Amino acid sequence: MDSVAFANTGSGFKDPRNLSFERDWIRRAVLASYWIVIILALPFWWHLTSIERLALPTSQVRSQVQSNIVFPIAVQFDASISQQNPSLNSQVQTLLRDSMINEPGRWRGIDLRLQDRNDEVASSLYTVALGEQTSITHSRHLWVSKTDAQSATRLSYILSDLIAPPESSTSHSQRVVQYSDHYRLAFTLLNEDATPNRFVETWDVQTALAEFIFPLTSRLSILHNFTVESQVQYHAPLAFEPKRLTLGDTEASGLTQEDLTVFINSAEWTLASSVSNDPVLHFVLFAPSETHSPMNIVDSEGRPTNQSSFLLPQWGSIFILNNELNSSSLHLSYNDLKPVFRNFAAQLAALLGVPPVPLGLSMEGSFLSDWQLDALLRRRALQNVQGSQDTLHSIVKLVDQINNMPVGQVVRDDVLDALASLHEAYRTAVASPALALRWSSKALSMASRAFFNPGMLALLYFPAEHKYAVYTPLFASISVPLVVALIRDFIAWRRGSQDDRRR
Amino acid sequence: MRRTPVWIFLACLCTPSFALYPGEIYREDLRIQPLRDGRVSTTFSFVTVLEGAVPRNPMALGQVDESQHYALFPLTLGQILREHAITELHLTLNAGRWNYDNWGHPHEAGVGTGAELWAWMGASEITTVDERWSGLRNALSGLFCASLGSLDSRRTLSPTVAFPLSGSTPTFAPHELRHASLPSENVCTENLTPFLKLLPCKSHAGLASLLNPQKVFDADWHGMGIHVIWKEDTGVELKLTLQAVFNPVRTSTGKRRDWNLQLLFDRSIERSCPVASSSSITVILPEEKDYQIIPEYPAHVDGLAIYDLSSSSNFTIPSNIAMSWPSEHSFQYPLPPLTPVTPISVKRTIHGTTQTRGILSVSVTNNSPQEISAGYLEMVPALLTLWMHTLKVEINSQIRSDLLSGLKYHPPSPQSNDRLSPLDVASCPHNSTKDHARNFHRGQQSFSEIHRTSTRCDERLGSTRGRVFPAPSIVSRYPSEL
Repeated sequence: MDSVAFANTGSGFKDPRNLSFERDWIRRAVLASYWIVIILALPFWWHLTSIERLALPTSQVRSQVQSNIVFPIAVQFDASISQQNPSLNSQVQTLLRDSMINEPGRWRGIDLRLQDRNDEVASSLYTVALGEQTSITHSRHLWVSKTDAQSATRLSYILSDLIAPPESSTSHSQRVVQYSDHYRLAFTLLNEDATPNRFVETWDVQTALAEFIFPLTSRLSILHNFTVESQVQYHAPLAFEPKRLTLGDTEASGLTQEDLTVFINSAEWTLASSVSNDPVLHFVLFAPSETHSPMNIVDSEGRPTNQSSFLLPQWGSIFILNNELNSSSLHLSYNDLKPVFRNFAAQLAALLGVPPVPLGLSMEGSFLSDWQLDALLRRRALQNVQGSQDTLHSIVKLVDQINNMPVGQVVRDDVLDALASLHEAYRTAVASPALALRWSSKALSMASRAFFNPGMLALLYFPAEHKYAVYTPLFASISVPLVVALIRDFIAWRRGSQDDRRR
Repeated sequence: MRRTPVWIFLACLCTPSFALYPGEIYREDLRIQPLRDGRVSTTFSFVTVLEGAVPRNPMALGQVDESQHYALFPLTLGQILREHAITELHLTLNAGRWNYDNWGHPHEAGVGTGAELWAWMGASEITTVDERWSGLRNALSGLFCASLGSLDSRRTLSPTVAFPLSGSTPTFAPHELRHASLPSENVCTENLTPFLKLLPCKSHAGLASLLNPQKVFDADWHGMGIHVIWKEDTGVELKLTLQAVFNPVRTSTGKRRDWNLQLLFDRSIERSCPVASSSSITVILPEEKDYQIIPEYPAHVDGLAIYDLSSSSNFTIPSNIAMSWPSEHSFQYPLPPLTPVTPISVKRTIHGTTQTRGILSVSVTNNSPQEISAGYLEMVPALLTLWMHTLKVEINSQIRSDLLSGLKYHPPSPQSNDRLSPLDVASCPHNSTKDHARNFHRGQQSFSEIHRTSTRCDERLGSTRGRVFPAPSIVSRYPSEL
């Protein structure tokens, strides 16, 4: 009677004794064994599915992002100038301060101080002295002519252009290649179509390199290392047909501005380097074929210009060889290559972001002065520092936002390394900009390595919903009978004990 | 201005031991040989020599390398060779089975099906040979669009006897060999395009303008090879080869074996490559005299017709070279039994009634009247276990174990389960007995039962391709010390 009453109670669960013939303790042992296994497996499941998420030094990153690299610069006016115009120093100082307030972006990271006498030794000490004409030398000297020394405005313009070269326009910054420790410079002589009576077989590339490129690269060696290589190609067709031009009685072909953007025929010209990940800067000397010669660059109105070279931003430079090629010679001598490599050297400096000498200033010696090199060092270090700060900040933000993103020991170490290098960069900037650049470059590479660590991507595409979608069909079907059996037995046991008590 | 010499001096310091190559020479050559089964074998070879160049010393790998300035040598390949300090490199990509019995020895050795790569490198502590081998494989697979990257340590061996240095041995470091092959690699147009890009004139001028991928890859057998050899007296030599065996009987309408360049390649040589120091087409004339060749060959060296195409020669480029057999109505295939052209022919087969066990039998036939001693190298995937105790050597069903000597077997290493088990058999298997009536002799080496080690064996053996085994190598002049 009892069992019938149990079956008819509102709980809806049937008496297990009606369903199975086993004795209570066997049934309960079977049920318990299932639950014991599940409970014992829980820690394993938890361990196996948890993500390694080490704490990142968030507060350190935040504080480093706030701080900035500062290069102290001291400019000293020679007695010869001070005597001529005693108030010049203070006038220039006022003008420069105005410029710093008006253009904070340009003067970022520069702590400029003007001084009369050499009272304290700074890392970058520049001297301004009276000279024959306004010029700069390889060492950190600025000679000012008498007329220029009269005008504080003129002098402050020159000084600000030398110390903090204006980042004139966006086109300029887009042209400069991204900083790298190591560049490959690939010089290629391309014959559009070699025919026996008209093609360049060999060139005196090594002499020209030694004369024009190596002096520049050796000056820049504190910033970058360079690998120089050259090759000659005899069949390098264009991917488009240049426009025909008629100039008086001669025929020529013209390259429009649109043609210049598609000039490189990557499919047919084997220019790419497959051996390393270093950025390559290409310098192409292009000898047009007989049918396309002479080849001119035309302006927007279709008139030929006297320009024979053009620069492709962040890629390299192209020089079109027209006059230098006479039909008899198959060899380009050093003299033929002079204008070409002078141009290549200028383009290389432009691509690497070397600031130009301010207008109206002459320079002793033909290559980089210390003024330019220092300005480039400071700008590159500042860019690297900003880049690594941004990257570190993004890592921290990303890890905060995505709870499923694993953070391993490698990432953590890289972030710590980047922070340490940044700190070193700040510290060494006072003494040596070159050392600061090395540290900032290391910080940048560490930060980007941490950011692009492949281990962080592993679970990025598996959100919590995805997990529920996987677990529910699997575990719901298993757990329902187990839970139901548990509840049923519990009710039966309570009912049984109540019956006992009643008895 | 007085500082300029100082900068030049500094620049010279920055680039130590400037590579001033005295010269680069490029020559190209095409050999055409009509074969006795009506096919036409064509062998292109493009040789670029860097005179006086020396392979990179692996001890200097940590330092900045000298600048590379090339006019004819391909820079992309030069970069790879110098980056990994490769002394000698051989890469072949072939499709089809070379019929030694009918076609004889190929003009360029290395005709095993699929990809085969072997390189000699100097040992160095800075970067180990295996690290550079891995870098080389990946660089070459990128350059040639071939899956050479999968030639990992499981497929790599060092069979130095069968693959000796072809050039000179540099003195700077002890040298090591790495060899790997991938028989299942397909060869197609995507491999030919980068191959042509390594040539100074690409496919725009010279002999290479004949290379029409649609025709070359339609040939019964085709393959390409890249060989870099260093010779002490000349320098670094890069030889690019392309071989194809065409079947004009199949492609012509009248079942004739007449061929001409236009028919074979569907292209013609419009102009010569201006930088080639020599450029020639050589036709190896058949022994029977019933053929006709147009144009009449200017140079006649016994059995060869040589056409000089270089721009310096006053001989104008023949628009076409044609060979015909006017007296022949249609080509009659030579009927068996045919005497094989090569002194040794080898047949390797797998027997057995089940998929799991079988017999690998290699039969070697000596076609020449003399006794021949040869070495045989077999590299077997590790999933097949060869039972060496079941090795049998038979001649005409008679056991002749005395014919085999210097047997070597390298089992797969226990660490890597899947490593190839090389079977380096140095054997002297077959002496042709003079009293044999037809100077023909057959020996049977059935040296194994194939034991199943994994289920993959089933698939591999059961697959229709059935090419589990890389091509074996026969070394005819075997060093005496082994």
